[in-house]
Amino acid sequence: MPIERVKPGVVRVVPRKLTFAERVYLPRVVAGMFLTLRHLLYNLINYKKLPIISYPEVKRVYSERFRGRHILTTREDGTTRCVACYMCSTACPAECITIEAGEDERTREKFPVRYDIDLLRCVFCGYCVDACPEDAIYMTRDYEMAIDTRARAVVGLRDLVVPPNFPVEPMGWRPYYGPLEKKGTAGGTGLGQPLREAPFEDDSTPPNPDLYRGA
Amino acid sequence: MSTLTRESAIPYTGPAPTNREPYVPTDAPKTDQRGAELAALLGAQQERGQDLPTLVVDKERIVDALRALKNEHRFTLPLDLWGVDYPSREKRFDVMYQLYSLERNERLRLKVRLGENETMDSATAVYKGFDWFEREAFDMFGMRFDGHPNLRRILTHEAFQGHALRKDYDPAQRWLCTEKDVAQLIPKIDPRFANVDTDYERVTLNLGPSHPATHGTLRIVVTLDGEMIIGAEQEIGYLHRCFEKSCETHTYQQAIPFTDRLNYMSAIINNVGYCMAVEKLLGIEAPSRAQYARLVLSEFMRIADHLVCIGTNLVDMGALTNFWYLFQPREEIYGLIESCCGARLLPTYTRIGGLAVDVPPDFLANAQRLVNMLPKYIDDVEKLVDRNKIFLDRVKGIAPISPEDALDFGFTGPCLRACGIPFDVRKTNPYIGYETYDWDVPIAEGGDTYARYLVRMEEMRQSLRILQQAIDRGLPPGPVMVDNPYVALPPKEKVYNEMESLIYHFKLIMHGIQPPVGETYFQVEGGNGELGFYIVSDGTKNPYRVRSRPPCFAIYQAYGQMITGQTIPDAIAALGSLNIIAGELDR
Repeated sequence: MPIERVKPGVVRVVPRKLTFAERVYLPRVVAGMFLTLRHLLYNLINYKKLPIISYPEVKRVYSERFRGRHILTTREDGTTRCVACYMCSTACPAECITIEAGEDERTREKFPVRYDIDLLRCVFCGYCVDACPEDAIYMTRDYEMAIDTRARAVVGLRDLVVPPNFPVEPMGWRPYYGPLEKKGTAGGTGLGQPLREAPFEDDSTPPNPDLYRGA
Repeated sequence: MSTLTRESAIPYTGPAPTNREPYVPTDAPKTDQRGAELAALLGAQQERGQDLPTLVVDKERIVDALRALKNEHRFTLPLDLWGVDYPSREKRFDVMYQLYSLERNERLRLKVRLGENETMDSATAVYKGFDWFEREAFDMFGMRFDGHPNLRRILTHEAFQGHALRKDYDPAQRWLCTEKDVAQLIPKIDPRFANVDTDYERVTLNLGPSHPATHGTLRIVVTLDGEMIIGAEQEIGYLHRCFEKSCETHTYQQAIPFTDRLNYMSAIINNVGYCMAVEKLLGIEAPSRAQYARLVLSEFMRIADHLVCIGTNLVDMGALTNFWYLFQPREEIYGLIESCCGARLLPTYTRIGGLAVDVPPDFLANAQRLVNMLPKYIDDVEKLVDRNKIFLDRVKGIAPISPEDALDFGFTGPCLRACGIPFDVRKTNPYIGYETYDWDVPIAEGGDTYARYLVRMEEMRQSLRILQQAIDRGLPPGPVMVDNPYVALPPKEKVYNEMESLIYHFKLIMHGIQPPVGETYFQVEGGNGELGFYIVSDGTKNPYRVRSRPPCFAIYQAYGQMITGQTIPDAIAALGSLNIIAGELDR
């Protein structure tokens, strides 16, 4: 559409004057038909280039940042990395994460006895992944979450926790991309470190964190 | 076996949080000076130290002041009217007005202090555009405006009790609206047609709220005389989900996903607008790399918005082919958004202080590919409809609005530019570097459906010009988040390996961003007009008040007037061309 300059930074769109052939309307309709016909022929010849995905036989592969269903990662010894610090449930704008914390008898580590995500409330913003200080929650590229009852939308530890060395390939939104050296914070919370026997015998002794963390 | 080294123990040397100190905008001296001039002219008090010239007017004198501002000082565009509640004050409410002067490129904020049981005069006699805004203020705060033609609830339903944005309203309450609560709507018949006697029976017809042609939950009640609409009234609020109240109960960061759902056709622009409003309050600026990505994605989102608008508008007129041609590039644009942030429609990509994550390595290559392919699709659609007599007959002269009326109703964006008024926030108040690009604001004459189509088509081409220049400049190097642990989460590497960063990380999640006490307004050019965010901070992690200025809201209130005298199919075509997005309209 032709444009004319009104003043610096402003242009006016001027509609074209119609010719006689355009005013009688049939020629333009035929011209439009030719354009759609050209598209049709092009698509028939290049049908492999059609931007169509025959779902569910063919599935779309999203990027490595896709924010799909969550997983909880595990350490090499099979325990969940999550330490039930409630950071994800605090950061969650949809308030869809419910955590109950427990204490490991053996290591005195806090861990989740209940970790529920209501996928119907979840808005898949990825804030839980950003908030996690323990590298424990990731989002996958899984976007097929059809359910038949509301109750099944609440996924718990059983659905979320994945085995150790779960392949990174299906992962989507994650705390970092590329290699990252994890030495653990000062004192260490077990990230990548072998678990040790607690140096105290029974619950009556108050746990001394320095003793446990030391060395 | 400590991993905490001496260097990493001292990570940040910048300023500490200043939530105890009041917010001082950088342009305060200038606005104070202009505010003093206007205050002297109007005989009003001035509030100093604001980001806009701010006057405090007595409630008895507000209508006179507005009239003087409109007629003598040329504040012709009524941008917004909203309320703020301070329950501890003697006069608990602030009624806020925001006006804009096209001649001087100047914004002005007026405040009226109003007690709980007091009433004030309605400004609808001066600016027609304040009609729905006053209804919203009444609905949300219970402010009563004398002389308002139709002061009833607008966003909540008839069975709703109380006023949702008052601070003493308990948001956990639920109100059920049953059929018997719903008031019968009978639109007023336009005086032009009141005494016209035709052979037809007059029929009142409901269009929507779930109607395939209304693109969202919009309800229009029309009175028909034969095929002609002789009276129309729009009912909104079917998608109301208390965006503003939700912001008050969440932290500043948590409100970003909520802004996605305002105008979901161009969600990144909403993200940018909100984040920049909070950044203005914090006195920080996102790094240049983040600003660049924000600009590129905003322009792609604007194109996507216009593609949907034109595509669906043409579907309403029976031209389905264009819809497919336009949705193909839109799909690719959403692919680009998804490669950046992992979601297509609701990206939540920006953060306060920058971006969530750096753009992918192939970002510019993908953007260039899109910029190369888009003109072909736009040209195809133009070839199909531009000189097509059927299309032109359906759009030319349909639902026109005069420039004076458009300004009076508070139109912004493409709908105002279609009336020949070149108002674009990207030109008048440039942000994220729009002033450094060479582009033009397209206008058209007539203010009808055709003019709106022409403006949108040209705007996409102008956006492509901006994008091509941006791609030629290349990505600026550097980080995408500010280096301030009171605003930005530390990098994960530091969180895992340093106690200091872990503490900052923990503090920021648990205690949130705590901006200084004050209020600010920031505006961006959304897909369909000026999208503004007004934020009041009381120094805590939750905003005291977030007000979003929805462009659709002002535009849609003129719809009834625009379609009166037209037929139903024309009304549908006009609705599509206004690009009303229910998510933004109802918030």
